Amino acid sequence: MELQERHEELRQQGLGVVAISYDSEEVLAAFAERKSIATLPLLSDDDSSVIRQFGIYNTVAEEGVGPNADNADVKADVEKYVSVFGAGQAIVGTPYPGTFIVDRQGRVTARFFEEFYRERNTAANIMLKLGSPVSPISGMRGDTPYLSIGAYQSNSTITVGSRFHLGIEIEPKPDIHVYAPGAQELGYRVIELSLEVPDFIQTLPVVYPSSEIYHFEPLDEHVPVYLKPFNLVQEVVVGGSPATSETLAGLDVVTLTGRLDYQACDDEVCFSPTSIPLTWTLTVDPLDRQRVATPE
Amino acid sequence: MSRNVHLLFVTMVVLVLSSVLIAQERQAIDIAALGPQVGDQVPDFSLPDQFGEIQTLQSIMGEQGAMIVFHRSANW
Repeated sequence: MELQERHEELRQQGLGVVAISYDSEEVLAAFAERKSIATLPLLSDDDSSVIRQFGIYNTVAEEGVGPNADNADVKADVEKYVSVFGAGQAIVGTPYPGTFIVDRQGRVTARFFEEFYRERNTAANIMLKLGSPVSPISGMRGDTPYLSIGAYQSNSTITVGSRFHLGIEIEPKPDIHVYAPGAQELGYRVIELSLEVPDFIQTLPVVYPSSEIYHFEPLDEHVPVYLKPFNLVQEVVVGGSPATSETLAGLDVVTLTGRLDYQACDDEVCFSPTSIPLTWTLTVDPLDRQRVATPE
Repeated sequence: MSRNVHLLFVTMVVLVLSSVLIAQERQAIDIAALGPQVGDQVPDFSLPDQFGEIQTLQSIMGEQGAMIVFHRSANW
């Protein structure tokens, strides 16, 4: 479990981490045992009361098995927010999946919710099958006090040898700037994207757009920064070996996780360095499109 | 007899009307608007973890705050 692997790192940054689901204690105990989750607390909200108190109870799951299950709007929402395979009793009680980052007082400093459950994958799959070009697909959106962030990807489907890019749209809030390459020489923390990828995926260096020079008057420094909306682009290549092909054949989706680290400042103050979790979900195309047609 | 027919009719009207109302009351889902927003206080909680220990917002809190992740399920 990726969160468990990152738990220590997050803890070193001073962040407590907790995962909440509607599973029973028994299910969580078995899962923790199976996945060796020893330090990350997995909490059991088996009557969904905390999920409801947080206001993120998935009402569509309930509608999908209720008297209005056949309503067209309900059906469309079920596909978006519950499952492309339709609703089932097992899904009732779940939240809309997402993450809140809170300060020591329990106030939200950032939140991240997937806009659609798998919808972007299936829609893009259909588009591919229809032969339509697939435009950048918006993934998750997040909002922090200093930045608005959106993660997108150029492809929704990957296969052996795919080359595609992951992007992040970043919009600093008014009067806020973050640091561009070059600023590290003056001791500032440059905004940085790091990805955790499986062995069969290779990442190329992140492409930074050109920055502007900011005159920080209190210290009379001239620092490269981003003040206006900008994108960071990460090119990614899927391996082309038979081993990769075999690995991909066993997978439906690949989730790439990453982290955006930055320090935001205004005219007077720099705020604590922040780390934002990001995810991109890609559907695996099992078809080998490179295959040469052979006569029967 | 006629009273029964009348009752049946009223029941049907109520049923039809209520299904119309249910359909109209349905609102589009806006996930970004659900739950505590940036700056809002999150509710406290008290839930057992995988080892049976009760955890609260305070017990899991780090020096810089906390990350609260809601999953669909560990089971599927």
